[in-house]
Amino acid sequence: MATLDTPAPTPLATGIVGTPSGTAQPPREGLDQNILTTSIDALVSWGRSNSLWPFPYGTACCAIEFMSLVGSRFDLARFGAEFVRFSPRHSDLMIVAGTITYKQAPILRRIWEQMAEPRYVISVGACACSGGFYDCYCTVQGIDQIIPVDVYIGGCPPRPEAFIDAVMQLQEKIKDSSYVRDRANAQHERIHIG
Amino acid sequence: MSTSAARLQEPVVPATPEARKEFETRVFVLLQEKFGATLDPLDQWGLTAVLDRNRLHDAMQFLRDEPSLRLDMLLDTAGIDYLEYPGHDLPRFAVVYILKSMVFAAHRMRIKVRVEEDDANVPSIHDLYASADWQERETWDQYGIVFTGHPNLKRLLNHCDFVGHPLRKDYPAQRGQWLLANDPMIDQLEARLKAKGYQILESPAPTSPALEETSFGRKK
Repeated sequence: MATLDTPAPTPLATGIVGTPSGTAQPPREGLDQNILTTSIDALVSWGRSNSLWPFPYGTACCAIEFMSLVGSRFDLARFGAEFVRFSPRHSDLMIVAGTITYKQAPILRRIWEQMAEPRYVISVGACACSGGFYDCYCTVQGIDQIIPVDVYIGGCPPRPEAFIDAVMQLQEKIKDSSYVRDRANAQHERIHIG
Repeated sequence: MSTSAARLQEPVVPATPEARKEFETRVFVLLQEKFGATLDPLDQWGLTAVLDRNRLHDAMQFLRDEPSLRLDMLLDTAGIDYLEYPGHDLPRFAVVYILKSMVFAAHRMRIKVRVEEDDANVPSIHDLYASADWQERETWDQYGIVFTGHPNLKRLLNHCDFVGHPLRKDYPAQRGQWLLANDPMIDQLEARLKAKGYQILESPAPTSPALEETSFGRKK
């Protein structure tokens, strides 16, 4: 049968099929170097917290600080969140930077609803957190009346360092969360917030 | 005449204090003779001529088209609520038009029309000045002064569910009003596209804001 001059198939007992028997590592040694064990919660939280995709909801001057934050000087990419998406369906971190009016409120709510879960919200600056000095007929007195907020940043507008601190705090919060528990809860009831 | 290049060729009339004074004296005499204008006693910053609302449209047309005046730019239309204004016994509301000339630098003035609260309407001048369209909508939105003859007197700044007129002095300044569903603006968008020569091939089906479903809540 063997008419061609090909190497003989490697016996299973000495290594991985398809590699020449002389170079194959013993399987035990390969496992030691390539497998680690952890909990699924730690793995998922580690992935989520280090690959946030921000959706910038910028309505006022705080959004200028966001531009500074993702620029090269402050460089949000160091925290794995540089991939700014302008579709809520691609994003999991909504950054509300600016004054939200009552006319804007349904739009903000609808865009937040379009984001895939798990989704996080950072409220940037005095206006988004509390209405700021716009204590008047047209401004929502804090976006937490419409959507849940994970981290608040004070300031008018905040420094980019405060922004970075908020992202790091959010990362800590995500690392504390439990994927397994959330999933078990989600099977019983859809979580309604607000 | 209308292009900026042509305007550069025209003699420049500098806006010296003398030129302003000369213009104000001249235009007020004209308005007084033709339209029965009076001076606003509260005015502190130049000329404000008070007109009867029935003469407003003719007067604005005259100010815009008269070759020696050429007040061809309407900078702003503003409402005033004189409720609780000290010593004020005139009608509660006023509408102020701020005019400027793009030809004569010294030509700028204001026109004021007074209206009572229970008869708060003023003829629209959107056919004379295109900018009056949105300015009148804003003044109606914020003060509740009706501009008769306006083609689309909808709210401009506040949302469609807003009740009342927030810049009236008797509106509680901190009372916000929630909007539950998006404010539909497709009609204005389409009208604007058509005005620019676009053809609307397909329109979204007309939906009522009451039918917009969000978990934020159903309207009404």
